[in-house]
Amino acid sequence: MLSVENLHVRYGNIEALHGVSFTLERGEIVTLIGANGAGKTTTLHSIMRLPPPEAPRVTQGDIRFEGASILGVEPHDVVRRLGIGLVPEGRRIFGNLTVQENLTLATYARKDDSAAVQQDLGRVFELFPRLKERQRQLADSLSGGEQQMLAVGRALMSRCEVILLDEPSMGLAPLLMFDMFRTLKHLNEEGLTILVVEQNAKVALDFAHRGYVMDTGAIVAEGTSAELRADPSVKKAYLGG
Amino acid sequence: MTTTTTTPLQKFTVPVLLLAALAALCFGAQSGMMNLYVQSVIMFMGINIILSSSLNIVNGYMGEFACGHAGFMAVGAYVSSILSVWLFADDAVFGTAVLSPSLAVWLFPVVILAGGVAAAFAGLLVAVPSFKTRGDYLAIITIAANYIVKSTIENVGAIGGARGFMGMGRVTKAMDASLPLPWMMIWVFAGTVMTVWLINRFVSSTQGKGIIAICQDEIAAEIMSVNTNKMKIVAFMLSSGLAGVAGGLFAHVLGYVNPGSFTIMKSTECMVMVYLGGMGSLGGSVLSAVLFTLLLEALRPLQIIKWVVIPLMLVLLMQFRPEGIMGNRELPQLFPKLKKFYKFK
Repeated sequence: MLSVENLHVRYGNIEALHGVSFTLERGEIVTLIGANGAGKTTTLHSIMRLPPPEAPRVTQGDIRFEGASILGVEPHDVVRRLGIGLVPEGRRIFGNLTVQENLTLATYARKDDSAAVQQDLGRVFELFPRLKERQRQLADSLSGGEQQMLAVGRALMSRCEVILLDEPSMGLAPLLMFDMFRTLKHLNEEGLTILVVEQNAKVALDFAHRGYVMDTGAIVAEGTSAELRADPSVKKAYLGG
Repeated sequence: MTTTTTTPLQKFTVPVLLLAALAALCFGAQSGMMNLYVQSVIMFMGINIILSSSLNIVNGYMGEFACGHAGFMAVGAYVSSILSVWLFADDAVFGTAVLSPSLAVWLFPVVILAGGVAAAFAGLLVAVPSFKTRGDYLAIITIAANYIVKSTIENVGAIGGARGFMGMGRVTKAMDASLPLPWMMIWVFAGTVMTVWLINRFVSSTQGKGIIAICQDEIAAEIMSVNTNKMKIVAFMLSSGLAGVAGGLFAHVLGYVNPGSFTIMKSTECMVMVYLGGMGSLGGSVLSAVLFTLLLEALRPLQIIKWVVIPLMLVLLMQFRPEGIMGNRELPQLFPKLKKFYKFK
């Protein structure tokens, strides 16, 4: 479905990715794990084709979605036309809009009627009942966990088929984190394809079907979650012995 | 989204009151109860409301720092003045009137809108650089745009250059001659009401929420499928177009324009009104435009000292109430009882 091929990416003069390749098939959960600065977020931003100043410039390689290169696609079209959604690191919700406004904003480019929007809204509220309770509150007043729910809900509102999650566990209490992953797993069973970037390798490998390990801008290991969990070098570097 | 029904009280109170107030003012002008000075202050209030609320789109809702509003006002003022003089008045430069001056009454809004459209296109001068430039750097571009417009006008001899352009007085006289009503006041009111209505509709729409999203986080807006470049163009063109409408009205109220009226000083006045009222508050912009106009007039006896007192007030405002009079809120949020009379999204 989504394939990244020999991707080289630069920020100014610094090359951040030196030939990253991986694939994501429909219905899969794939994780990219690795330490700080490995290039995980850069990879996601490259897929989303984000504009400056976040823009990583692709110097070599290709990103293909259903076989076609998406390097020339504008970011808002990546969301709308290709149906790839991003839950960014640090959530980046709109604090001075209400929860409901945040969610409806994601239907921004959709031309369909408000009944369909209402239906999607209902679905998100079903997944995250907390958001329903707080739908009229300003998003700033939500707790960290609720904000993460809102960020995921917002991505779902854009009717994406693939969701890219950037550090969904960051700043969440363990219980909330497990809740979040359980909901995501449920969404995956309903057909959502998930690419998740995590520093918390243990949780990520428990959650994903397959994984890639990144280090300083390159993929250093890949395999199913079980294989990676058993890999001695991955164990040593990322799973604490 | 809960669907609340609108009661007739909510639906009609504000429009009826507004219409009555404006009609009363027009009657006052018509019957001579208000002298010309009071009339002109009221008209400047209207023009200032258009200026501050339109600048609020960019500076408040979108969170940019544009300080060249007077430049777009100048474009609107000159384009509509030249059009109206060319069409409806005998002039030394443009020759005899193209159309009968009696048509001026009916075609005047078209002339003003043409000025607005021209100003909207001038707004592209700022909108296109804004794709990749934000904050202080964009502010510098807007100042440059203001100077480009002003200097261009100063150097075109055919429209009077630095001496200015006149003849709009003959057009307003022609309107009076065909139907004796306080026409300029009516047009200013129409322009003001239309502007506030349009901006209110715009910012409470999902489209408009896209602009608020850009203000908060451009990247997050993009991943919400907001075409940020397109929204920036829309916001800048709407803002500068409405400034052009204000400029056209301004020129016809005065009957004379010169480039000196559209310096960075005028742009600063617009910004003062926006920040005084509160960023991202339409009600605040209207309120502060009214207050600011009154303040300027009240301080007129101080003459040149006025421009010491007003900036000083601004310093105090920023010290003690940096969010402006209304902050980010609208009137019904400050006075919930008003909701009974007016439905606000």
